[in-house]
Parts: sequence; C-alpha cells; structure tokens
Amino acid sequence: MLDAAIALQRGNFSLDVCFSAPAGVTALFGPSGAGKSTVLAAIAGLVRIDSGHVRLGERVLTAPGVSVPAHEREVGVVFQEARLFPHLSVRGNLEYARRRSPAPAPFEIADVARHFDLAHIFERPVRNLSGGERSRVALARSLLAAPKLLLLDEPFAALDGRRRRDFIARLRRMHLTFALPMIVVTHQIDDAAAIADHVVAINGGSVVAQGDFVHTTALPDFQNLLDRRDAGVAVRSERVFHSTSTSDAHVWVRADQVLVAATRPQGLSARNIWQGRVASIAVEDNAALVRIETDAGSVLSRVTREALQELDLRPGATGWAVVKAHAL
Amino acid sequence: MITGEEAQILGTSVRIAGSAVVFSLPFAIGAAFALSRQWFPARSVISALVHLPLVLPPVLVGFLLLLVFGRRAPIGAWLESSFHIHLAFTAAGAALATAVMTFPLMVRALRLSFEATDPRLLEAAAVLRASPWDRFLTVALPLAAPGVLAAAVIAFSAGLGEFGAVITFASNIPGETQSLPLAIYAAMQMPSGEGLAWRLAAYSFSLAIVGLIAAEALQRWMQRRFDA
Repeated sequence: MLDAAIALQRGNFSLDVCFSAPAGVTALFGPSGAGKSTVLAAIAGLVRIDSGHVRLGERVLTAPGVSVPAHEREVGVVFQEARLFPHLSVRGNLEYARRRSPAPAPFEIADVARHFDLAHIFERPVRNLSGGERSRVALARSLLAAPKLLLLDEPFAALDGRRRRDFIARLRRMHLTFALPMIVVTHQIDDAAAIADHVVAINGGSVVAQGDFVHTTALPDFQNLLDRRDAGVAVRSERVFHSTSTSDAHVWVRADQVLVAATRPQGLSARNIWQGRVASIAVEDNAALVRIETDAGSVLSRVTREALQELDLRPGATGWAVVKAHAL
Repeated sequence: MITGEEAQILGTSVRIAGSAVVFSLPFAIGAAFALSRQWFPARSVISALVHLPLVLPPVLVGFLLLLVFGRRAPIGAWLESSFHIHLAFTAAGAALATAVMTFPLMVRALRLSFEATDPRLLEAAAVLRASPWDRFLTVALPLAAPGVLAAAVIAFSAGLGEFGAVITFASNIPGETQSLPLAIYAAMQMPSGEGLAWRLAAYSFSLAIVGLIAAEALQRWMQRRFDA
C-alpha cells in the first residue's frame, strides 16, 4: 500500500497530488504533460519534492527532513526507454539486478527468463535487441532486484498492436505470478483498463479522480479527460470474453462500439447481448450518449438523434446493448 | 640499429611518462567525474587548479614544484625525513613534473567521456539498489572506459615530450631524468651531436604519431560500442 502526497514547483509547472495505491495494479492515468512521470520519479526518490510525504506500507520514504535515497527505497522502475546498460549483455543486465537483491532472493534469473521468454537472447549485447525484447529485459531486470513496489512509466509506448497486447498480458501475469504491487503510467485508456485494478487520474498537476477502476472511470470528472471517441465504460474482461483464459483485468468498451436495441435482437452474430434499463441520456451535438444499466455493468452507447427518436429511448425504458467482443 | 645510449634514453622516457600516467590517472578520474556532475561549491576552485598547468609557463611549474617539493622545502623535507622519498632531481620527480603538466589534458578527455554518459543509466542503476559508489564503479566507469584509455594514451604521448617543468625540477641526468626532449636538447649542445639529435627526433616523432592514432582508434571503438 502506497500513500503519497507530492507537491513541487518547477518553473511554470506545479504538481500537487495526494493519492493512495492499494495492493494490486494502479493506473496513473492522464493526458501528456499532466505530471504523471514526475509523480513516479518522486516516489522512486529520483526528484526532490518541495513538501509532502511518501509512505510504502509502514515505511516512510519521504517526509519533512527525511529522504531515503533511491537505492534504499526498494522501489523498482521500468522506464519508457528501457535504459538497459549498453556495456553488458542481456545476461549481464539481469545479473546486475540479481546480485543486488537482498538474500534470500525471491526470484531467480532462470525463472524470470522463462517467464519473459529471454532464453534465446540471453548472450546478446543489448544494442541488438528489438523494441519488444528491450521492454521484456527491462521488466525482468527490475523484477530481479526484488522491489516491494514496481513503477512503470509508459512501458508499452515503444510497442504497437499485437506486441503491445502481448506485453500487457505478460505484465498482468507477472503481477499475478509474483504478487508484486505495481503503478503503471499510461495515457491510453485501453492499456489502463487491461492492466489496472485501480486508477488515479491526474490532470494539470492534480488528482481529479481515484479509486476502483470500474467505478472511478464512470465518473464525469474522469470521462472529461477522454477524447470524444474514447467515451466508454470498463467491463470486467471475463464478462466480455466468457472465459477466464484472458489475463486482462478489464475491457474498455467504447460508446461507438455498442449498439442499442429497443427489443431483444435476434439472429445476430455478436455474443454479448445484455439486457438492461436506460439510466440516462446525454445529448451531444448530433448524437446522444445512452447509459444502460445491465447485469454486466453499466454500458455507454452513442446513437444518432434520429435513432434516439425512432427507438423512443428514454430513461427507465428497457433496452439491449449489443457488444461485438471481437472489435475490442 | 638502436644504440645502447638511445635505448637508455627511450627507456627513461617511457618510464617517466608511464609512471606519470599510472599515478595521476586515479586522481584525474576523480577530478573529471566530479567536474562532470552538477554544480558543487568547490567546483570552480578545482577546475582552476586542474587547468593551471595549461596556462603557466612549464618552467614556472617546475620552479613551483621545487618550492614545494625541493629538499629544503617544507613538504620535500618532510617526505625525505619520514619516507626517504627524494623528488627533486630524481626519476620520481621527473614523473611528478610530467604528471602535473599532463593532468589537464587527461582531465579534459575524461570529462568529455563522463559527460557523454547518459545520467538516466545511473538512475536506472540506483533503482536496482546500486549505491552512488557502486554506480560509479559499475556504470559510469565502464561506460567511460574507452575514454579513460584514450586519456591515458594522450597523456602518455604528451608526457614523452615534457621539457620545461622536468628540466627545472628534475634536471637533465642521463639514465635518471634524461628523457627524449632533454636528450635532444643535450645532443644539440654538443659539437658532434647533430646525428644523435636527428635520430632521437625521429623516435620522438614516431611515438607521438603512434599515440595520436591509438587515441583516435580508441575513440572510434567507443562510439561503435555504445551507439546502439
């Protein structure tokens, strides 16, 4: 459990945040320039703060008159650019961390290498690695130093598409396998939904919402941070995929990916057809956001004004939300 | 063929320049690393002291060394009575004078390579539980290794040619302090020494060229190794 109050001023930028991150994975979410990376650096002891405190469990890391140096914090960081040591091989990078972990080491190089699929690149110099390989080595290395908390600064920024989803799945499995609390900085709502149990939303240097992921992301203060096309809700992934084989925490279901039906739809290929009740309708320029409370949770759907009138949707009416899982 | 006398002169030169490099390198590394980090109170004082030999006349440096390390000077007398170390007019003194003169060159080369080291890698080491001293030894120094080698080669090459400070502080004693430039100077004073002077000049020239090429090659190697 991390408890942080961080205030600092750098030129025109001022940061004043106060939040807690329970065990599990917490997404530090917000637009670029919101101050997310600075928050991570302050928790890791890499920047000085003007006032506030950082506590990890019972241990005070930062407080007035106290500043535990970065190397004694037991807080690991996976940086955006991997920051592998160029004078060492993949093995050398991993051994660097393993040698400095306190005895008995909770993780062995062989286990971690297997978990991250590193055996075949073990002896390579790090400059010959692909972006995905670099990210995996950085993650494995941070784990081997046996941190009590792992901070990840947009670790998927260098990856795209399939590699990105693969990396997020690994990260989630790593969290479950090694029981390591994590704070992940991201500005992509899909990534945040897939990985996090909790969310702390930051904008303009302060916290605008925090708490349980599904509940917090539904708040207007959170939705205001999103682009119009990202408006949506988080749904537990097993509700969408009907299996526990996925390691993702949630799926971000965009309002544009959800159809609304006024009567039970028939003969559709979509597997997710949820019955519910229209809770609210927010009218936009030439469309409307319809919120339907279903058994699977609250769902948002964006419909045109014409459709709204034709279906005669109004609060309290029964409606069916159709979600095509494949599109997610 | 090389004569016994020439071999002795070359040997003296290599010994003096070599020990100057070996003994001053750790200090140069410390000074360069300190100067490459962010501002600290004594920074400008250290920087001025390090660079002083670049702007002072070498003879004056030799004279100042005599004032401090001469047999009747305070530190010189203390070294002699406590440790039986004689510096003035000895090979060790010639190495000291050479080290002082080549120190700024070495620090400048080292500082460039420490400044080229990505400070973010030191942060990465810190969050892997490496203490500041550990980070210096295992990240900063290995990454600067090619620069350290290049600095040593440059200082060695320059040290082979050190004249003013050496002749003032350590005199021109064959077999002890008479290095290449001092021997060339001595040969030129002799009526029949022109041939010897020419031959010594050729050795000196070749060593300098080899040194420069070696330093250049080491720098290229560094770039290849770390430009990922």
